[in-house]
Amino acid sequence: MLSYTLKRFALAALILVVAVTVMFLMIRAVPGNPVEIMLGPRATPELQAKLTSELALDQPMWRQLALFYGGLLRGDLGVDVFSGRSVTDIVFEQLPYTLHLIFLSIGWSAILGVAIGAYAAAHPNTLADRVVATLSVSFVAAPAFVVALLSLLLFAVYLRWFPAIGAGEGFWDVLYHLVLPAFAMGLSWVGYVARLVRASMLEVLGESHIRTARAFGLSERRIIGAYALRIAILPVVTVIGVGMGFLLSGAVFTEIVFARPGLGKLVIDSITTRNYPIVMGAVLVSTGLFVVSTALADIINAVLDPRARTEN
Amino acid sequence: MKIEWTKAPMGRRTFLRGATALGAVTAVPMGFGSRAAAGTDGVLRIRAYGDTQTMDPAKILSVNEEEVMAATYNKLIQYKPGREWGWQLDAASMIEQVDPTHIKFALRDDIGFTNGFGAMTAEDVKFSFERVIDPATEATNKPDMGTLSHVEVTGEREGTIVLKDPFAPLWSIALPYQTGNIVSKKAVEAAGGIIGTDPVAESGPYLRDSWSPKSKTVLKRNPDWKGDAPAWDTIEILPIDDENTAEIAFEAGEIDFTRVSLGSVERYRGGVPNGGTLIENPSLYYVWLGMNMDHPKLQNKKLRQAIQHAIDVPSILQAAYFGAVEPSTGIIAPGLAGNRKTGRIPPEANFEKAAALLAESGETNVSLTLDVLNKTTFATTAQIIQATLAQIGISVEINLLESGAFWASGDNENLQLVLNRYSMTPDPYYATSWFTTEQAGIWNWERHKNPEYDALHEAAFRETDTAKRDEMYQQAQSIMEESGAYRFITHEATPVIHSADVVPALRPDGLSLLRYFDKA
Repeated sequence: MLSYTLKRFALAALILVVAVTVMFLMIRAVPGNPVEIMLGPRATPELQAKLTSELALDQPMWRQLALFYGGLLRGDLGVDVFSGRSVTDIVFEQLPYTLHLIFLSIGWSAILGVAIGAYAAAHPNTLADRVVATLSVSFVAAPAFVVALLSLLLFAVYLRWFPAIGAGEGFWDVLYHLVLPAFAMGLSWVGYVARLVRASMLEVLGESHIRTARAFGLSERRIIGAYALRIAILPVVTVIGVGMGFLLSGAVFTEIVFARPGLGKLVIDSITTRNYPIVMGAVLVSTGLFVVSTALADIINAVLDPRARTEN
Repeated sequence: MKIEWTKAPMGRRTFLRGATALGAVTAVPMGFGSRAAAGTDGVLRIRAYGDTQTMDPAKILSVNEEEVMAATYNKLIQYKPGREWGWQLDAASMIEQVDPTHIKFALRDDIGFTNGFGAMTAEDVKFSFERVIDPATEATNKPDMGTLSHVEVTGEREGTIVLKDPFAPLWSIALPYQTGNIVSKKAVEAAGGIIGTDPVAESGPYLRDSWSPKSKTVLKRNPDWKGDAPAWDTIEILPIDDENTAEIAFEAGEIDFTRVSLGSVERYRGGVPNGGTLIENPSLYYVWLGMNMDHPKLQNKKLRQAIQHAIDVPSILQAAYFGAVEPSTGIIAPGLAGNRKTGRIPPEANFEKAAALLAESGETNVSLTLDVLNKTTFATTAQIIQATLAQIGISVEINLLESGAFWASGDNENLQLVLNRYSMTPDPYYATSWFTTEQAGIWNWERHKNPEYDALHEAAFRETDTAKRDEMYQQAQSIMEESGAYRFITHEATPVIHSADVVPALRPDGLSLLRYFDKA
């Protein structure tokens, strides 16, 4: 298991380097002089030249990349050209907002998705199963922005139960402010996870060891809870790992609609102002999160199902 | 009396489930529904379109910073709220232009800096202004100080601003806007000359209490402020990029004041939720269609004039701006010296005249490209232009460009038609400065080169007689229009809504002056 874990993290590191390098080159390839955009139309040529030099934009691309990785190895992501603040500080200041949102979104959607998926699988072809199937497909099909806007209008404007904007202060207030964004982001995952669990469980319930368990007279509840669900949930772990990445990108929209701070919003703001150090810092951290979460999902899978280790 | 208990037909689990559900249902509206509406809890909550990045007046990047600084610092003079551009005294008890290059001032004696940095003195004014023009400061807004030479300190609270040449925008930009904020010399020097994201010392009616990046800026009343007491104890500034989100937040009662989208103006004209009010002000932005005069396809003046006459501005304003804005006559907005009441080309298209001009030009089978920023408003405008030019036989291909690519168009020699929008400060010289020969290929994308125009621009900002300036800037815009390279479209608008509890204080272009916001 240790060997598998080390290999998996080595692969994750390699993926991270490739992804960050590609992102670095793509950002540099975007047209437009970042210095002009950063400093505005009235900046003097001297000021533009100084910032160009500070950002090493007058250097060949390979040298810019080498400087970036050199800084990275020293734990230095540079400074924000506008405020002069450390990029690391800025990125890690925004990261918790996004992580709260992602964890709550995936958390509630996974719990609910697994529960209703398991229920549907335990009652196949019944009315409940058909209702779950219809709802699941509807949830998957509902675009997050539509859910976000409708939930805003209903729960924030009309009923005034939840706040429409901001991130809140203090544990309960933060949680309160997370309800609508997490609902909007997680709803489609409820449907997705439910469909996945149902299909996976139906497959497991048809396997020989389940038949054996039934033959031994174990209760259906025990068979589903202790035997079938444990195996059926494996694909969900992988999906959640990958889902972290999708939710990171989905967070951009949610953070804008709910006027929340966060990594997604930071990246968008920084890209439009060509704020290279911030963009790279934020991309590095979000890519790192994605790579680590998929690696962890693989490792958890391997722990739950030893066959995964040998297959990999 | 004997009471007989009968067992309810309900199990323990059923009861617990039911009680929990009932509790949740009742708790939700009671607990969550009792949020205080903005404004009613003594806190003014306003929306800004972006976050602050610095508290250094020399390095202000957007109006978001100035909104905070105008409340937390003092200037010699401040903009006067209302529909007409004007200024009023702030830190100055007296200010007077004694000749075209000398302005005498005296400071009030009751303004002090926080953090123990003492009273505001003329030395602070000298330090603040000269710091902006000092190359070592690398001030991004240095041009706003124009021809400032230095400030002479003639007493503890008296001094003279000395200009190298007359500079009329001193009264409309330099002093009442970003560069006019006065910082404490002692405080800045104690901080090593650097003001970052935190103020080193403040002096205004409000103090910046806290700043949560991308989340909230909180201003609190300055307990030591001796001037007119500000109305609000606390002001929360919430950065919200998206206007639709801001409108929802307003309707949910979470903010008291916000700019709204032009698309929502018609709806709000019919009534603003929560007893609020809609205010419509013109903005200082200017939008126009430009033509690159150096491009081989556009060197024929008659062709350019045909294009000018074939574009129907009212159709654009209806389709792209929802009829919420007025046509413009040039680059200088209403209310500023130099604004033209009418242009030489009416807003409405004149297809007969356009066709005649095209025939005179001798050009046939004209096909052009139109570069546009990829925003809905501009894309719609471009489509109207495409449709109207087609009526005189000119075909247009629209290039929708991402912001980086679009704003790099200055040195694009292949640029033909371009739909553009520049922002402004409240002095006409700011607008005319981009269309000089010197700016050709930089911000003058039309490559408009006219010595008479250049001379007018130079002379007008040195002219201190407002009537003469007005005439000069009008003439400069007529020269632009006469070149055929410009079709002026609109100055857009700044519609804002505010709650019933708030009396906003706005500049004539709709921007907030927070220190003057009042309670209803």
